[in-house]
Amino acid sequence: MNRADGETDRRRRFGTLCESLCPDLLRFAFWLGRDRGLAEDVVQETMLRAWKAFDSLADEGKAKAWLLTIARREFARTFSRKRHEVTDLDVLVAAETEVLAAPEDERLAEMRAAIFRLEDDYREPLVLQVLMGYSTREIAAMMGLEQGAVLTRLFRARARLRHELGITPEPEK
Amino acid sequence: MNCPDFRRRTGAEPFAADEDIAAHRRDCPACARHQDELQSMDGLIARALAVDPARIGKPKTPDWLSQPAPARRRLFAIAASLVVGLSVGFVLLVSAPRTSIAREVVDHVLHEPGAMAATVPVEPGALAGVLDPDGTRLKPGAGDVTYATRCPFDGHVVPHLVVQASGGPVTVLLLRHRDIRKPVRIDERGYRGVVMPAPRGSIAIVGVDIADPDEVAKRVFEAVDWGG
Repeated sequence: MNRADGETDRRRRFGTLCESLCPDLLRFAFWLGRDRGLAEDVVQETMLRAWKAFDSLADEGKAKAWLLTIARREFARTFSRKRHEVTDLDVLVAAETEVLAAPEDERLAEMRAAIFRLEDDYREPLVLQVLMGYSTREIAAMMGLEQGAVLTRLFRARARLRHELGITPEPEK
Repeated sequence: MNCPDFRRRTGAEPFAADEDIAAHRRDCPACARHQDELQSMDGLIARALAVDPARIGKPKTPDWLSQPAPARRRLFAIAASLVVGLSVGFVLLVSAPRTSIAREVVDHVLHEPGAMAATVPVEPGALAGVLDPDGTRLKPGAGDVTYATRCPFDGHVVPHLVVQASGGPVTVLLLRHRDIRKPVRIDERGYRGVVMPAPRGSIAIVGVDIADPDEVAKRVFEAVDWGG
């Protein structure tokens, strides 16, 4: 394969990855930052950085974890520049109604709002576990935490959601 | 394992099913109910998190991703890749075992272990979003679809579904790009199923402990509308 063909193949493979993983990356970035604009910026920057570093991806089966790691790093960078201090969670929820709305299912909309209100430390491992399908061990490695700390955060996240949805009394802090 | 330990563990991992968990479930109906509730809530959490990405936005991708290569170069690339492909194919054919589609399918299923645990039906709009690009549709009769996404497989992006069939969840991969001449049985690493020739490419249907994989495959196959 000559250089031009190699480049065409590289683009094709990267395009395939983008098409399949972009929706989940967008969702991940949205739940991480709770802001559509921020999510778009993070994913766009993630894709550019991923393209530049594409040759370092040895196993394309691991592309999702690789992209998520880039997105997390990018989010931390963008977050420190752009994100405003949030004082009222209801305002935040109202600003993203278009994404959170589920007119056909009130319970679903309640759950979305409840997840939106979770603290960052609880929301991120929950998204990685339920949406992305990672084990607690994998999440611990991604977040640089002990597995026990991830288990505690996930337990508290669900306890908080159960309380928000009126299933149990307020959990201990 | 006592009740508080059980609840702490399942509160963090609702689908935990190891020996300790199973034993406590047998001994404590209240905790078993609690875990069932948590699993059901996780279904709702999964649906809640799976917001429509189109509503979030459309990040700009590098321009070249949407630009076709110049026609002459593309023709040359196709011709060159055909020559290379045929050569490589010949070498592989005579020097190495043929790649097993059964193994590829099982590898893919093992890559996404959470998919089979989903229990809540996917919203019709989300399912259409997965099938529409391939011009396919799922008619009623296959069973509830509890997982639907588009995945990279063999260099292509293919619909990956989990359908709740009568004997339990089965994974369905619609492989429009992969023509096969006759059915290939899957029976490895605990997974059973079949890859069947389809009007367009092939369809893989695989699950764990399926009593009658052929019957399940037949029902799912008949429920797929392959489009015009």
